[in-house]
Amino acid sequence: MPVTYRLAKDFNVAANIIRAQVAPNQIGKLVVELLGDIDQLDAAIEWMRSQDITVSFASRELVIDEETCVDCGLCTGVCPTEALTLDPQSFKLTFTRSRCIVCEQCIPTCPVQAISTNF
Amino acid sequence: MRSIAEINDKIERRQAVVRTVEEVKAQVAEVGIAQTAKEVDVVTTGTFEPMESSGAILNLGQTDPPIKIRQCWIDGVPAYAGFGAVDLYLGASQAVEYSGTTDLNDIEEVREGAEARVRQRGGGHVIEELIAGRSVPLRAVGQVTDCYPRASFETTISQNTINQFYLFNPRNLYQNFIVGVNGGDRALFTYLGPLQPRLGNAVYSNPGAISPLLNDPDLELVGIGTRVFLGGAIGYVAWEGTQHFPLQKRLPNRTPIGPAATLALVGNAKYMNPKWVRGCYLRGYGPSLMLGVGIPLPVLTEAVIAHCSVQDQDLVAPVVDFSIPRRVRPTFGLVSYAQLKSGKLIIDGKSVRVAPLASIYLSRQVATELKHWIEQGAFMLTEPVASIPNDRTFIPQDMRGS
Repeated sequence: MPVTYRLAKDFNVAANIIRAQVAPNQIGKLVVELLGDIDQLDAAIEWMRSQDITVSFASRELVIDEETCVDCGLCTGVCPTEALTLDPQSFKLTFTRSRCIVCEQCIPTCPVQAISTNF
Repeated sequence: MRSIAEINDKIERRQAVVRTVEEVKAQVAEVGIAQTAKEVDVVTTGTFEPMESSGAILNLGQTDPPIKIRQCWIDGVPAYAGFGAVDLYLGASQAVEYSGTTDLNDIEEVREGAEARVRQRGGGHVIEELIAGRSVPLRAVGQVTDCYPRASFETTISQNTINQFYLFNPRNLYQNFIVGVNGGDRALFTYLGPLQPRLGNAVYSNPGAISPLLNDPDLELVGIGTRVFLGGAIGYVAWEGTQHFPLQKRLPNRTPIGPAATLALVGNAKYMNPKWVRGCYLRGYGPSLMLGVGIPLPVLTEAVIAHCSVQDQDLVAPVVDFSIPRRVRPTFGLVSYAQLKSGKLIIDGKSVRVAPLASIYLSRQVATELKHWIEQGAFMLTEPVASIPNDRTFIPQDMRGS
């Protein structure tokens, strides 16, 4: 089934393929980033599920390169959920993954480009 | 109490008592100033923060036939060539020049694109690469003269293939700075990093009580010729820094309430360590250089320890609103470094997140590293050759007749 074509044609959803493992007549796996109107996205996901496609949400995660990070803490000021904080004693950057909503504001803020997402 | 010669004698015999300034503050709290001054010979301070008025002098050595370089790009970053034939100056905040039609002011449009990543490079990054021992491409255009017939030159350089490579930084080590906030309604991209609208965040850039010049507020110990830790190597105070403003208002403890003294520093980059010399980029503002600098303070008198005992709650900085793009911006008053380091400020009744731009973690490491050097006898103290002026006024650049 031409999934990405249908997503674009029927739902106006852009599917950016990040990873694909597809072989003929076998179950394949596609990692896609979907861009579109929020209601259309919900409809598209519902449609995929109705076609017996298992849809699960991959969690984008922040990755901090500790070799590059200088622990300046500039990112802590733009982090809305306090996932990024400075340890009050050591002033080393600490990242609480469970609080991160992957808003990515820290990424362009970092002066030494130490923060990225794992996709 | 003791002289620099006596301290150096102890350093040579590896008997000098060296403490980081934070250790001294803790010791003073415990045993008092007099006792601490008796015990400690040298206090080490440190900072690690962006210092964009930094740059590297390079001498390439002559080509054959020789060239008088007038324009030069090192890894795409323009270097100033208006000196003798193959002398160059690479400024830390010089952005990479790339072939494209995009105007430098259209940063918004290219920010998220591939070009943005290229633009994020600057002189600071090239300096870091060279210090790390890597090779970088160099392109030069010459003025053809009877002395220097060559018109252009392209090569690859590393720190080992050039004669001189030293940092000569016209303004380092700000004695105190400001706290940036944004009272406007659109995000601002500043030299203090992004400032979110409606007082969304605040940024400070001085590490406070550990910072070198806040512990010698009147520059009684630091002067021209003082040997310092610069980028992981030995450096020297060359001169007063640009915008040196010792007449800034001061608290009774003599520390300034805003930007004050600055120093020009010089040091051999070939001996520096990329851990302490880091190219950086401030979004929407431009490239810069983060630099580790440490100053040893000899305990010549009890007053030295008294000055070193200032704590974050004894030091203040002004909260400045960047939404008014003028030389004199409105302020929200003074806050203490203890408040800043708590991570929250109350401004206009509103709780504001505060982040540092200086790395307090690495500032401490600079002070600790310098302490080890002195303990191991690898770093001797110097008598200043001359004092840094204490009466410079701050002259604004106003159009004549206005």
